[in-house]
Amino acid sequence: MELKKINEFYNKNYKLILLLPLLIILISLAYLGYFYSQNNDFVHRDISLTGGTTITILSNISSEELQTALAEKIPNMDTRALLDNSGKQTQIIIITSEEPELVTPILEDYFGFKLDETNTSVEFIGSSLSADFYKQLGITVLIAFFWMAAVVFVIFAKKWKLKFIAILLNLLFGIFLGKMFFSFPIYISLFILATFIITLIFIYLKYSIPSFAVMLCAFADIIMTLAVVDIIGMKVAGAGIVAFLMLIGYSVDTDILLTTRVLTRKDSPVNHEIFSAFKTGITMTLTAIAAIAVALFFVRPFGTVLNQMFIILLIGLTLDIFNTWITNTCLIKWFAERTAEESRL
Amino acid sequence: MKLTFRIWLLIILLLLSIVSIFSLTPAFLEKGVAVKFVEKNSTIFEQGLRAGMIITQINNVQINDANDYVKAMSIFSDNQDHKMAITTKTNQVIAVLPSNTPDKIIIGALSLTKIKTGLDIQGGARALIAAKDHKLTDSELNDLIAISQQRFNLFGLTDMSIKKASDMSGNNFMVIEIAGSSPKDLENLILQQGKFEGKIGNKTVFTGGEDITHVERSGQQAGLEGCYPNQDGSEYCTFRFPISLTEEAAKRQADITSTIPISSENPEYIAEKLDFYVDDTLMDSLFISKDLKGKVTTQISIQGSGSGPDRAEAIKSAQENMKNLQTILITGSLPYKLEIVKLDTISPVLGKSFTQAILLGGLFAILAVSLIIFVRYRKIKISLALLVTSFSELILILGFAALIKWNLDLPSIAGIIATIGTGVDSQIVILDESRFKIVSLKERIKKALFIIFTSFATAFVSLIPLTGALQVMGIGAAGAGLLKGFAVTTLIGITAGVFITRPAFADMIKQFSDE
Repeated sequence: MELKKINEFYNKNYKLILLLPLLIILISLAYLGYFYSQNNDFVHRDISLTGGTTITILSNISSEELQTALAEKIPNMDTRALLDNSGKQTQIIIITSEEPELVTPILEDYFGFKLDETNTSVEFIGSSLSADFYKQLGITVLIAFFWMAAVVFVIFAKKWKLKFIAILLNLLFGIFLGKMFFSFPIYISLFILATFIITLIFIYLKYSIPSFAVMLCAFADIIMTLAVVDIIGMKVAGAGIVAFLMLIGYSVDTDILLTTRVLTRKDSPVNHEIFSAFKTGITMTLTAIAAIAVALFFVRPFGTVLNQMFIILLIGLTLDIFNTWITNTCLIKWFAERTAEESRL
Repeated sequence: MKLTFRIWLLIILLLLSIVSIFSLTPAFLEKGVAVKFVEKNSTIFEQGLRAGMIITQINNVQINDANDYVKAMSIFSDNQDHKMAITTKTNQVIAVLPSNTPDKIIIGALSLTKIKTGLDIQGGARALIAAKDHKLTDSELNDLIAISQQRFNLFGLTDMSIKKASDMSGNNFMVIEIAGSSPKDLENLILQQGKFEGKIGNKTVFTGGEDITHVERSGQQAGLEGCYPNQDGSEYCTFRFPISLTEEAAKRQADITSTIPISSENPEYIAEKLDFYVDDTLMDSLFISKDLKGKVTTQISIQGSGSGPDRAEAIKSAQENMKNLQTILITGSLPYKLEIVKLDTISPVLGKSFTQAILLGGLFAILAVSLIIFVRYRKIKISLALLVTSFSELILILGFAALIKWNLDLPSIAGIIATIGTGVDSQIVILDESRFKIVSLKERIKKALFIIFTSFATAFVSLIPLTGALQVMGIGAAGAGLLKGFAVTTLIGITAGVFITRPAFADMIKQFSDE
């Protein structure tokens, strides 16, 4: 009885429910816009994307102690302790925008031993190179996102001519981003970028609502995850941006499952297919979350880039549950009910 | 269970992967120590011991591990020279060795598998080099790499790789990676500019670049001369090629040689030799014919050699040395200053415990997933099949990585985890699709494979830009290729998954549900 009520409620209000994700997407976008106006960037970049030095020393000296002792000698210094799973400190990490030649002697003086490969890891990256890494990674994520959407369109759309146009446009889009985006004046580049994006979205929206839904859902995942990452104050590394690529892959999996189930159904009601897809999809997402959480537990004490990748994935996968089963589901139901109605007429 | 074609394919590829990981003669059955480094200017190096060899016996005593090696080398603790017989898997060195020999060799344990880990796991040094205030062209980058190779070889470093990289704005970089250790004065070594000098006594006759008008790179007079066996069975090959000096340098040579007497031991030649230095390290010496004494000649012949454990290796080494030498002579010292734009020296201390943590993490992650699957489906057989399939994907990735000598770095490991994650997702799709009893099982599996293939295709196109395969479109591997490992391992994994393991899993499930 209860179930039937939910069913009815859903059938009546699914278009209204869509307002909820729409609202959250808008809030996320507004927050990111605000964040950009404050920081002149969409994320807090860590040293691997701004340039500087990271020195990791085997030592149990406290982070605060080091900070107070050296803050005046080393400009822009940040320190962080690495703990193992029992809570014992194993290493201390010193992050600064300065070059290693400047920092190492000061640290050696303070610690009283020579920093060499047996006790220390040093990573340095120049600022122009790191700025370029950041640009490249941004382009890579943008291309990945649009090509993913193109594949979904090619698979779910009906007309071959349009599929061909979509592929061609996306290839041109790739060449534009790779070869021209940074060599044109910024306003012209942004104008061409916007033209590409609007054209592609128009094609998807007009000729394949399901592809558009998948794309919107992946977009929502990325935007919301980005907002959460900014809110918790995470400093994003190059590998962290790659985690967003992983997120696209994972989030699309459940969307494709849902779309295929609903579109290829025979006579069963849409809600039935949605519910069965939900059972499968939620198992998929939960196993992924479980696997990543367990892996994170084991590698966390080492303080590597894997930590950040896993945390971003955990945030993204959790948000994906919302986006797949509310955002995408309501859209695909709308589409399926409409086509069903059209075919009845 | 009936073994279908797809399951057979999986089994065969698994076996091949295991061979690729452990090799046909598994290393854990082998005994000995691996030579990691031999200093170039040492007796033991001249006798033919090289990095990469495996020492099995010293003075007819079996060497099983590092302890045995240290014990055998303790013979030098009396600070005397000793006659030693060092047997490696490929050759034997019998020679009187000076007492400092143990300091000239660095050894390590044999690696159990053929899998190579990246610098961020096993430790080592990595540098990204660019020209200061100058955009390196492709040919300049090639020359720079040749010069650096030469310099590192002179230093005795062999376990390293030098690669090219470029960024979005078309800047070229040289990426140097040295595994395991980081040489002390790495920065100086890298930033030197590749100086070639021909000296007689302590007087410089000519330097690379400015004093040279032409270097014959190929043709009749340039090339290998011949190969000869060394006493220990290894071989060396010599090469020569002519160069033309400027009038000025030729005159300098004439002035210097005119003051040098004819050699008393070797009356065909004059008493001093023409020495070739690369970055102040003596590389080779030539006798100067007495006919050339005091004569202005712009044509001279440069000689050198290369050696190796067998003839093929010796030829290869001689050809490489010749090419590098020619490069230095043509370019002279670099016309631009170098700068290090990225330098990482990663301590290897964490390597071992980190590998253990990763393995444990992976194991428990798969167990956690299997548990969820068991709770959901309540069938031990299905959970086991899923476990087996996930492990197979792992083994296939590792096998392929070992085959193409891919260095597994942290991004690669993230890629492997991503693959296993999507693999599990696909298997759940197969399981659930096969449970709908309305249409035929075949139809249902087909639908499952369609979903899986679509997911695969989206993941595939979204990873391609990161591999650097789209360089023609201006999309280079982001981060100078440092994050390429993620894309490559994931691509290997999902491709193997979609074409091999997941179809095999579908076949297994088909049979289970028939039962």
